[in-house]
Amino acid sequence: MRRRLLLATAVLLLPAQAQAHKLKAFATAVGADVSGYAYFSPGGRAQEAEVSVTLPDGTIVAKLQTNDEGEFSFTAKQRADYRILVDGGDGHEATYTIHASELPESLAGASAPTQAAAPAGDKASAAAAPTMATSVSPAEIRAMVEQGLAQQLRPLREQIDAWQEKVWLHDVLGGLGYIIGLAGLAYGFMESRQSRQRREEKSSGSLKEARR
Amino acid sequence: MAHIPDGVLSAPVLATGVAVTLAGCAIGLKSLDHDRIPQTAVLSATFFVASLVHFPVGPTSVHLILNGLVGVALGWAAFPAILVALLLQAVLFGFGGLVVLGVNVMNMAAPALVCHFLFRLAARRDSRRVTIAAAGAAGAIGVLLTALMVAASLAFSGKEFIGAAKLTLFAHLPVMAIECVFTAAVVSLLMRVKPEFLGLRSTEAAYA
Repeated sequence: MRRRLLLATAVLLLPAQAQAHKLKAFATAVGADVSGYAYFSPGGRAQEAEVSVTLPDGTIVAKLQTNDEGEFSFTAKQRADYRILVDGGDGHEATYTIHASELPESLAGASAPTQAAAPAGDKASAAAAPTMATSVSPAEIRAMVEQGLAQQLRPLREQIDAWQEKVWLHDVLGGLGYIIGLAGLAYGFMESRQSRQRREEKSSGSLKEARR
Repeated sequence: MAHIPDGVLSAPVLATGVAVTLAGCAIGLKSLDHDRIPQTAVLSATFFVASLVHFPVGPTSVHLILNGLVGVALGWAAFPAILVALLLQAVLFGFGGLVVLGVNVMNMAAPALVCHFLFRLAARRDSRRVTIAAAGAAGAIGVLLTALMVAASLAFSGKEFIGAAKLTLFAHLPVMAIECVFTAAVVSLLMRVKPEFLGLRSTEAAYA
């Protein structure tokens, strides 16, 4: 509690940045290990947020809390779609799904057994073994490729997020434009209504004069 | 924080929000005569931008709301002004959702209205100091009531009230402090240069 108070006062001294405000979650799977983080877009990492991981059938696999860096991690036990829900506790929620295809095939499938793939892989590795000096099974190669890809894709995805945050400035200006436009419309409508009333008053007044 | 996203609230809460917002906007638009349109637009724009000024507080992050200021200056017209600003925020930035727009408008515009009436009561005393103090209080009260209403909206949708209320209230303490000072400063400036903006007679400013 005292730490939070200190943080709150420290924050007051910081210059307030003009930033948007939305909770987002992001995760990648390297092998069976899933790691990710929750953050405010744009803004800081979401600390001490509750993270629950559910399978498609609704069973909760893990209940976690993000650390001081907003990070969380867990290990996938089976090859299925893992839905990660981050709850900021104040109505902010973010979800991210790790698809079954991102997880290694060595894990047991959620419903359909993936056993068929394993023997095929073994056969292939047996065929490949004589030609290679050190025998590396296709499953291992696949795991290595997946790991490398995940590592290289991560900065790319982070860059895309950063870019989205840049677009934000244009949206601010656009929004202000909308407000000015709406005000102009309202002004125009009221003006035309008033001038019509004035015209009617004038015409009824001239009618009266004509009667006289 | 003050913007509740889609899919969190229950149907009765959503319906209440829509009903209150529609009623408020109807009254607000009726009370709006055409020389107050630019003022309404300026405050709508201020509100729109204020929510983008955000800073981290402890484990979460908060932003300015400024509904106290909007209420003090606009009265019932705060409803349409806040509706337009929140609609744009939802569409452009994904702050809050379109389905919960009614609830969000209610949570921010109803406190604004309360601030308006409190400020009017204080301004009747014709004392510059009291009026500015009331403006500061309005800035803080607007945020306080909004935080409470957000917590209540979550509670009526089956979320734990005390936890949510504590979290929103605690995180909004710095916001309340900032808005208190900001609203008082804006009102003191307006009283000097353009008292009509606040719906005060210019003689009231001369009084000080």
